[in-house]
Amino acid sequence: MVPKNPYEHPVNLRAYKKKKPTVLNTFVRDYQLWIMILPAIVVIFIFNYIPMYGIQLAFRDYNFAKGLTGGEWRGLFYFKQFFESYQFADLMKNTIVISLSTVVLSFPAPIILALLINQLRWKRAKKALQTTVYLPHFISIVVMVGLLNVLLSPNSGVIGHLLQSIGLGNVNLLGSTSTFVPVYVLSEIWQHCGWNSIIYLAALSTVDPQLYDASKIDGASRWQTIRNIEIPALIPTIIILFVLSMGSVLSTGFEKIFLMQNSLNLPVSEVISTYVYKIGIVSNQFSYSAAIGLFNTLINFFFLYTMNLVARKTSETSLW
Amino acid sequence: MKKSMSILAVLALGAGLLSGCGGSDEGSSESGKTTPDGKVKLTAIMTKHPLTQEFSKMEWLQKAEEKAGVEIEWQEVSADWGQKKGALLAGGDIPDLIIGPNAITDADYAQFPGLFEDMTPLITADAPNVQKMFDEKPETKAIATQLDGKIYGLPKYQRFWPDTTTRQYINKQWLDNLGLKEPTNWDELYDVLVAFKEKDANGNGDANDEIPMDFAPSGTGGFGAFMPTMLLGSQGITLTDNSGLGYFVEDGQVKNFFTDERYKDLVAFLHKCFAAGLINPEVFTQDYTKYQSVARGNGDTAAVGFTWGWEVTDRVGNTLAPQYESIAPLKETASSTDQLSWSYDYNSLNYGVNMVSLASTSKNKDAAMKFINELYDPTVSMQVLFGSLGTNIKDNGDGSYAVLPPEDKAMDPGTWKWTTSWADNGPMYISDSLKLELGTDMQSVGAQTEPLKAALDGIDKEKDVLPSMFIKYSVEDNNAMSLNNTAMLSLTMSKWAEWITKGGVEDQWAGYVDNVKKTGVDRNIEIIQKYYDDYMSKN
Amino acid sequence: MQLVQKKQKAVAHKRNFGEWMFDAVVFAICLLIFLSIVYPLYFVVIASISNSTLVSTGQVTIFPKDISFFGYSEIFKDQRIWTGYGNTILYTVLGTAVNLLFTLPAAYVLSRQEFRARRFIMFAFVVTLFFGGGLIPTYLLMKDLHLLNTMWVFILPFSVNVYNLIIARSFFESSIPKELYEAAAMDGCSHFRYFGSVVLPLSKAIVSVIGLYYLVAHWNDFFTGLIYIRSNDLQPLQIVLRDILLSNQVFSQGAGSGGAAGGYAQQYADQVKYGVIIVSTLPILLVYPFLQKYFDKGVMIGSVKG
Repeated sequence: MVPKNPYEHPVNLRAYKKKKPTVLNTFVRDYQLWIMILPAIVVIFIFNYIPMYGIQLAFRDYNFAKGLTGGEWRGLFYFKQFFESYQFADLMKNTIVISLSTVVLSFPAPIILALLINQLRWKRAKKALQTTVYLPHFISIVVMVGLLNVLLSPNSGVIGHLLQSIGLGNVNLLGSTSTFVPVYVLSEIWQHCGWNSIIYLAALSTVDPQLYDASKIDGASRWQTIRNIEIPALIPTIIILFVLSMGSVLSTGFEKIFLMQNSLNLPVSEVISTYVYKIGIVSNQFSYSAAIGLFNTLINFFFLYTMNLVARKTSETSLW
Repeated sequence: MKKSMSILAVLALGAGLLSGCGGSDEGSSESGKTTPDGKVKLTAIMTKHPLTQEFSKMEWLQKAEEKAGVEIEWQEVSADWGQKKGALLAGGDIPDLIIGPNAITDADYAQFPGLFEDMTPLITADAPNVQKMFDEKPETKAIATQLDGKIYGLPKYQRFWPDTTTRQYINKQWLDNLGLKEPTNWDELYDVLVAFKEKDANGNGDANDEIPMDFAPSGTGGFGAFMPTMLLGSQGITLTDNSGLGYFVEDGQVKNFFTDERYKDLVAFLHKCFAAGLINPEVFTQDYTKYQSVARGNGDTAAVGFTWGWEVTDRVGNTLAPQYESIAPLKETASSTDQLSWSYDYNSLNYGVNMVSLASTSKNKDAAMKFINELYDPTVSMQVLFGSLGTNIKDNGDGSYAVLPPEDKAMDPGTWKWTTSWADNGPMYISDSLKLELGTDMQSVGAQTEPLKAALDGIDKEKDVLPSMFIKYSVEDNNAMSLNNTAMLSLTMSKWAEWITKGGVEDQWAGYVDNVKKTGVDRNIEIIQKYYDDYMSKN
Repeated sequence: MQLVQKKQKAVAHKRNFGEWMFDAVVFAICLLIFLSIVYPLYFVVIASISNSTLVSTGQVTIFPKDISFFGYSEIFKDQRIWTGYGNTILYTVLGTAVNLLFTLPAAYVLSRQEFRARRFIMFAFVVTLFFGGGLIPTYLLMKDLHLLNTMWVFILPFSVNVYNLIIARSFFESSIPKELYEAAAMDGCSHFRYFGSVVLPLSKAIVSVIGLYYLVAHWNDFFTGLIYIRSNDLQPLQIVLRDILLSNQVFSQGAGSGGAAGGYAQQYADQVKYGVIIVSTLPILLVYPFLQKYFDKGVMIGSVKG
């Protein structure tokens, strides 16, 4: 169940209800609101919108002498180059598999963790757990991959040994096409689940304590309390974050995948971002990488747009 | 109300900054002006090695600046130059000098026309030392000259480095413990490795802790040094600069070993070894650090039997080094008559392109060129490479010099060199007439190259070496080739690892060759052949 | 009344065992999570003081071996690290303040239903999450604004993070009871005052979260320093640490053509790698407990009622 948006029928709008206000009218009426939002508009316009002319590079050659907008117009040439490239199908497949499994598996994890932490009765344990789970977030990617290499090594790693002792044979978790995605996703969850649960914990903190009391009086079990009080309190946050996460169906991190790549897992670990890096490093393929980037963005934006539409139709919570 | 006031205050502050009254000092560089004592101020970026100390501590550099009458404001870059460079060049405001190994590439010169100065006239006017290098070693002029005949970047020549990066080591003590002979071909190598595996070769009572063979992790970007592609030399293939992308020359023909039957045989042999447990099972997943750590064994108990490396103490540490010896290239079979070969890396080890570039916007090009000239002075070049006279190099007084051992006893000579000076990252010309006695590290590299010498000397430099170092490709050809190579490597490197660990090379070979051809490898061979023929006809 | 209480007691009694089981299961799961997170962290700590060769060959598991503090002394002997700390603290504090000042009011405005431009502005903001001009135009912009090589480049550009803005907005939308503004508006309360004296105090939880997000982003930011800063005096901690890290990782890149070296640095390379994590993270860990109290149950509504 979804809580109703409290501002669906704001009372202070009663006066305007019959006649739609003109834009000018609202400017005068809402001048305070405009002042409050102005800094954000200015900053976003300057730093995000002004450089956007650079998107043209995806359709042009780069020409240093004539500037970014002066190169020869190539139309969809660089997009075609990408679609027709030998690796296109594999790149798309790998990228989608990795990013979708990351979204699907790592999205619910912090929600569950937040609910669990919230259920812990022993205050000290709660505090200890809460302060520990978010720590892995601060480990840099280089060290994270280093840790994976040390701990998962079949010859010498703690986890490698553990798996062998429970009879999982001599699987090299680091170098196999079937274990790359699980290792990647699980380590993502391990590293960021605690950090991502913070926002849910904050949302849980806003639940009215009277609601808990009431449900106790009703004789609700703990499980029912979670289902009827806590989850509904999280729903708006869940919807917003889910819609946002849909905007990254075609984005995978670059650095971690690149560092985890080796010749054994390459058939599943070569993704768009690592490909762009590889073609960029040998020669300055400005236009080609801009075109691939733009293609990526368009797909992501399409998914976000669609999800947002669905969210607005079904739940009244949406990005815009 | 307090809140809104502070919002407004911040807004005002922000607006003020954005409109440019923030008082930044960017753009007002001191470059081109002169100091009170008459020296010309210059700015420079150097992409130095991460180990290298601050330049203000390098005595030779202070003297060189002094002598050229310049005072340089250095920006020392030791990481992520690639990322920095793109924005810097596109932004157009570069310092007077950019120094570092291929810091600005040929592709950059082509892509950012007008940003760098054609040094040809300046060399004649201000740089007799550079001119001398061009005269004595004409190939240095060839690699400095772009396709349009202009010179934007100057090369280096460091003379002393060996013909190859990779040496081949076997644990002699293990051989002795087991009463075995040094292997001379692949079959004998296989038998030796089996013995290493099955018996307690290191004699510590555990028959299972020996790793018979280990090689450097072959990543996804092609091959490098210390990898088993060295064994292609057994079949008569001469790799050049490790032939990381597979391209090599045989009898004047450019080829790629990724589609060569001999490569198939090598993969099959390595799979036989891997299946028998003779190769470190982590060979494809370990990183270079681990590759090095593992070979250091445990105390004086060695862990690895047969491997490749630069120098033995670097490879296995000082404690274990005496157990190992460097051995000659192996034949494929006892009866094989192929001319033995090895990776020929002399060019990439001794020459370097685009070590220093000069901005066309520089306000004092003559002064900058005089400083460059200073770097190519015979005694300065020597100090660029090994460090300052006095602390790093001894002047024997009779016109000869000797590299001194490290002042810091805990360091080896290699690390010491990189720490105290620009070392291999600097522009330099070490002339063949310089009398310099090298440090212990270079001497032992030389000694350990001896077993390979017959094979290296037997290489036909005219017909079997790909002179990549000296060939300049056009931008279009370069871009086309790099896209094809990216696609090719992603296929070939994963098949390489898959076939060695799981097998299947015999069955899949034909289909694989077709796929490799689809990535455009033949087109690349054509391009390289065209440039190669062109180069050979001129030299 | 008495009847109700009796009934409650009976129910409570019956529930006891179930409750106890529930708690036990929750505790067990949490303990498992705790251990799986703590061990690798503990490993980072012991790896930072153990012999790196032993670490990478798997001989260090529970206790540090061949202890030395070479890694830390290597990190702290670099004088730049203190400048780096100073700069990073300055950029983080100032930057986060600017972020919050720009983001929170805007989030509030976008949460108001009667603000007619909200959907359009929201859409225009979300677009920037996806479409960008790339590094080169952005660099040229910074150059034109004279932000290159100044501390302001860490603070002003991108000071509104749309992602954080959205989170704050949806929090304001769903957690601030609508009756509050109606009551306040009837008393003639302006948006400024309502936001400052009602909304913000009620939103300590989200302000802490957004503040933490911004804070950590500033703390970890190394890209800005890498691209836009030339002078060493302005570099943040992360750049300094990265330099130190790299100078000790030389041997993981393949010695080959000349970096050839004996076992010297090899033995300590990883110490620096792990030590850097601890040095860079410790200060920011100290902040969390201060914010954590705002996530406790019922803090917000308690303050409304009280």
